[in-house]
Amino acid sequence: MINPRRMTSLQRTQQRMAVLFILPALAVYALFVLYPLLMSLWGSFFTWRGLRMQEFAGLSNFARLFVFPSGERLYGALWHNVAWFFGIMLFQNGLGLLFAWLLFLRDRGAAFFQSVFFFPAVLSPVIVGALWRLLLAPGGIAEWALNGLGLHQGSLTVLGNSHTALAMLIAVDAWNWMGLPVLIYTAGLRQISGQIFEAARLDGASNTRMLVSVALPLLMPAVGTLTTLSFINTFNQFDIVYVMQGVQGNPSYSTDTLVTYFYRLAFGAEGAVGITDIGLALALGTMLFLILSIGTLMMLRFFDRRTVQL
Amino acid sequence: MPSLARLPGWTVLVLWTAAVLLPLYILVVSCFKTTAEIYDNRLGLPQSFVFDNFVKAWTRADLGQNFINSLIVTGGAVILTIVVSAMAAYPLSRYRLGWNGIMLGLFLSGIMLPIRLASVELFTLMRNLGLLDSLTGLILVYSAIRIPFAVFIFANFMRVLPSELDEAARMDGAGEARILFQIILPMVKPAVSIVAIFTAIAVWNDFFFPLIFIFDDRYKTVPLAISVFVGQFRTDWGLVFASLAISMAPILIMYCLLARQIREGVGAGGGMK
Repeated sequence: MINPRRMTSLQRTQQRMAVLFILPALAVYALFVLYPLLMSLWGSFFTWRGLRMQEFAGLSNFARLFVFPSGERLYGALWHNVAWFFGIMLFQNGLGLLFAWLLFLRDRGAAFFQSVFFFPAVLSPVIVGALWRLLLAPGGIAEWALNGLGLHQGSLTVLGNSHTALAMLIAVDAWNWMGLPVLIYTAGLRQISGQIFEAARLDGASNTRMLVSVALPLLMPAVGTLTTLSFINTFNQFDIVYVMQGVQGNPSYSTDTLVTYFYRLAFGAEGAVGITDIGLALALGTMLFLILSIGTLMMLRFFDRRTVQL
Repeated sequence: MPSLARLPGWTVLVLWTAAVLLPLYILVVSCFKTTAEIYDNRLGLPQSFVFDNFVKAWTRADLGQNFINSLIVTGGAVILTIVVSAMAAYPLSRYRLGWNGIMLGLFLSGIMLPIRLASVELFTLMRNLGLLDSLTGLILVYSAIRIPFAVFIFANFMRVLPSELDEAARMDGAGEARILFQIILPMVKPAVSIVAIFTAIAVWNDFFFPLIFIFDDRYKTVPLAISVFVGQFRTDWGLVFASLAISMAPILIMYCLLARQIREGVGAGGGMK
């Protein structure tokens, strides 16, 4: 801190101007982000009647969250989020690394392919979800194509089948965001000195070997960024589920996520408006907040330690 | 490397290109087809380019009003975010205040905060402020969410400008507001475009906050309207395809014009969603 008595007149003006300049941004941010978030965390320790806070209830909301009838929904949704995260890590970030490596090895076409691959990422998940819902619907073009190729017979009901619906949503999400790992990995690969790859090639390393043993360890910051982003996005997953399967995570909750469950507890489900449980919703929100913050911090530390310095 | 050895790699890249472009191609051609034609002629070009579906989507489904609402909300949020964030970033990055670090940290912590989980309290707050069913309400909430990222970007760009810039202007008697808006801000144009592009994309595409704050059809934004269409006009595929095309048009135009900036912005920062 600067001692106020030893401030020059410039510093005094700057202190005053700084407060004036920061205030608008701080006011909007504090009122619409920090305040509701803190109130939500605080409110999860109270009982609620509708949208009115009643009395202090300790951890009883949290206890109710884990037992019948909420427990079944909670564990189901949690498992779907975890499966979603690993699915995205494998299909989106794994394939994305392969695509980025292939683009890195070629001196032509990188900008074109990057632009095409990234395009779905600038579309709203609502548009992406609606588009794929039409394509995958019974009688839709995917059914027609699979029938025509002889790979499938009859009506295609992948979104209506509780064994396949979640996997389809994960695939649609990966389609949506594939451009992100491609861009981040290519940017990371371009920062690695060309001499390193040259030396590895002279030692007779194959392309696969160079990717796994040379490039990947040096790409740890990019892997860390993507893992953290995917983790945050997966555990906030809502839009695609809502548009493609409804807020209940149909069929029979097989695509339910923590945020769709949170939404139903807070705002009610389609056709059953009014059946809300704010105490339970806030407890779920607090739990998700803890999962996200602790998870993010752990991942950042984990990848920070694995960053190779050259 | 012999060119034949590169063939499998090229095949993989071309296959994913097809996986991206084919659904979008089907979307575009289906806009011009009747529902019957969509079933009969799956992949081909439409028999004739008629705009019936677009007209129906724009008028009967009232997508026109949604479109205007989305433009107002996106424009308002982009301008508000840029102005207040640039104002906050200027003293935080260029004055010696003694509390720069703490304040920046407070803003930066907001980049990762899961604000959707606060939506119950946010709903109560908006109701008490009379901001439900209001485009102004959406503009304020979106700006609040985007301010942390914008302050971060502006502070990073402003920090590296030479200090002679504002010192010389101050000697000439320019006020601090004038130094910021007439000298500093024009020097950080790349930051302004990064903030504008990513705020515009995030706000145009969002559907969660309209879903909980907007009940009146007159104030619905495009993504919210689309989520209703998909159920409502389930059998009228041509209409749904056309409304999807209309809603992605502004983003598509922006993407074609700014693809390079977007690629570089994402590759450098990553923090977009």
